[in-house]
Amino acid sequence: MNRLFGLETEYGITIDGVDRIDVVEESMQLIRCYLRGEFTPLWDYQLENPRKDVRGFEVKSLLNDTDEKVHLQKDRQRKVPLEELKSDLIIRNGARFYNDHTHPEYATGECLSLFELVAQDRAGERIVDICARRRSEMLSRGVVRIYKNNTDFEGHSYGCHENYLMDRATPFDRIVKGLLPFLVTRQIYAGAGKMGVERGDRASIYQLSQRSEFFEVIASVDTMHKRPLINTRDEPHADAGRYRRLHVILGDANMSEYVTALKVGATALVVALVERDDLPDVVLKDPVAALKDVSRDQSYQWLVELDRKTGRLVPAVEVQRMYLSLAKERFGGRDVETDWVLNAWDEMLDGLERDPMAMVGACDWVSKKWLLDCFRDAEGLSWDNQDDLAWLQSQDLEYHNVDREAGLYFLLEAQGKMVRLIDDERIEEAMSVPPADTRAWFRGRCLEKFGHDVKSVNWDRIVFSRNGELRSVDMKDLVDGEKVAYYNRTLERSNELEEFLNALEGGPQVA
Amino acid sequence: MKRDMASFERRTRRPEAPDGGPNDGDDGPSRPDVDRPDTRDLLRRMRRVDPNQARRYRQRTGE
Repeated sequence: MNRLFGLETEYGITIDGVDRIDVVEESMQLIRCYLRGEFTPLWDYQLENPRKDVRGFEVKSLLNDTDEKVHLQKDRQRKVPLEELKSDLIIRNGARFYNDHTHPEYATGECLSLFELVAQDRAGERIVDICARRRSEMLSRGVVRIYKNNTDFEGHSYGCHENYLMDRATPFDRIVKGLLPFLVTRQIYAGAGKMGVERGDRASIYQLSQRSEFFEVIASVDTMHKRPLINTRDEPHADAGRYRRLHVILGDANMSEYVTALKVGATALVVALVERDDLPDVVLKDPVAALKDVSRDQSYQWLVELDRKTGRLVPAVEVQRMYLSLAKERFGGRDVETDWVLNAWDEMLDGLERDPMAMVGACDWVSKKWLLDCFRDAEGLSWDNQDDLAWLQSQDLEYHNVDREAGLYFLLEAQGKMVRLIDDERIEEAMSVPPADTRAWFRGRCLEKFGHDVKSVNWDRIVFSRNGELRSVDMKDLVDGEKVAYYNRTLERSNELEEFLNALEGGPQVA
Repeated sequence: MKRDMASFERRTRRPEAPDGGPNDGDDGPSRPDVDRPDTRDLLRRMRRVDPNQARRYRQRTGE
C-alpha cells in the first residue's frame, strides 16, 4: 500500500462468575500471563508525550470524564508503581501489549501490507485469548472473558485506533477538511454495530457504530473526554520534521477481516489524496451531528447535510463514492493491494445501496444484526422491553468474545459465513513473526536475538546495555525502505551485539 | 429489510479475496459458500448466553 500503518485495540475484560473485579489488577495480571518468567519493565516512556498538539501547543493534562476521575483518585492510592501497573511488553512480532487505562491493549507492529496488518491484528486476538485462558487457570473461581468491542452499553467506551504515517508538510487544516466527510460516512461499512443508545434518549435501536455517539468536537488532543473526530496528538514516533502520525480514534474494533482491510485500506488511500491536495468538493454542515445521525438512521438512507452553500442532503454512500472515484483515478493499477481495496470498496458501496443486509459475512454491523434479528424472532423478543433489550445486548457482547469456542463471530466464521482474507496458519505465524520489511521486524528480531542486552524499547528507539555501557539505536528514520533493508539485513547477519551496533553506525545515512 | 433464513440463499454477491491476494490458488477459507448457515447451532449457542451478561459487564472509560 506504500504507507506504514498499524492498529491499536483496547479490549474489554471481565470475569464470569465473580461479582466484583479489580480491572486494574486483572488487566495487569492478564498481560503478564504472556510471560513465562518474571516481568522486566522495558518500555521507554521518556519518548512519549500525548499532550503535545499538532496545532503548536501543549496542554497541561488530558481530560477525563467524571467517573474516571474518581477511579483515578483511587488508583493513586495503590502502592504499585506505574510501570508495574502498565506491564508493558514488547512481543517478538514487534507488537506492544500492555495495560492501557485498565484495558489490555494490543498495538500491532508497523505494517506496509494490508493483509499483513489483518494477520497481525488477528494474532493479537489470539494472544489475548491465550492470556485469558492462562489467567483463568490461576483463579480460584471464575473465567476471564475478553471482548474486542468498544462499549459496556452504559456510557463507557474504549478505543480501536488506527495509525497512518503521513507527510509532515500536509497542512493540518487540509487534513481536517479532507478527512471529515470520509471518516464520518465510513461507518456504513466499518461500523461494528451496537444494540441500544447509551446517551440522551437511550433509544432501543440498533446502531451502525459502537463509538459514534461518543464524539463531541471536531478536533482536540483529548481521547477520553469530549472525544474529537480528529485527534490532534502530535506524536509521530518518527522524524517530526518529516512525518505526522495520523491517529484515527473514531473507528470501531472489527471482527471481520474483510472490514479491517477495507477500513484501513480505504483510509490509507484517502490520506494519500489529502497529501496530494486532490480531494472531492464536499463539506459537511455539522460533522459531529452527522456521525451520530448516520449511526442511528433506521431507514438506512444515511443522509448527511452538506454545508450551507449547497445545503442539500446526500446519502453517505454518495460521499464515499466521491472519494472512491478519485482514488480509482489516481491509484488504480498501482499494486495488488490497492486494487483489492478499490474493488472491495466499490462492491461494498454497491451492496449497501442495493440491500445492506446482503452484506452479511462481510460487514460486522450487518452480520451481528442478522444474528440478533434471528434470535429476536426465534424467542419473540421486543426491543422495547428492557429485559429483552438486555438479552440482545448480551448477544451483541458475545459477538465480540475472542474465545473461538464461545464467541458468536467465531461461530459464523466456523460455518464459513464470514469472508476470510488470510488463513489460520498465517495468523499463528503472525503471533511470533513481525511484519516483513519494516522497523517492527527490526524491533522484534532485536529482542529475539539480543534480548538479554536490551535495556529499553520504544517505537522509535532501542537501548542496549552491555558491561555497563549504554548504546542506543535511533529508529526515527527507520521508515525509509533503503534504511530498513540495511538495518534488517545487518541484524540478520550479525551474531555479536558489538559487531551489529558498529555495523549500524557505519551504515547508510538516508536523508 | 430481509432477515429470514431464506434470504441467505439469495445473497450471492459476496466480496472475495483478490486475485493475487494472500489466499489465491489455495484451498484456504477465504471464499465462503452461500449455503444457509446452521441456525440450529447458532440459536442453541445464543440461548446459552446469560440474559443479564450485558448488565453485569461494566468497564472503565478507555481512549
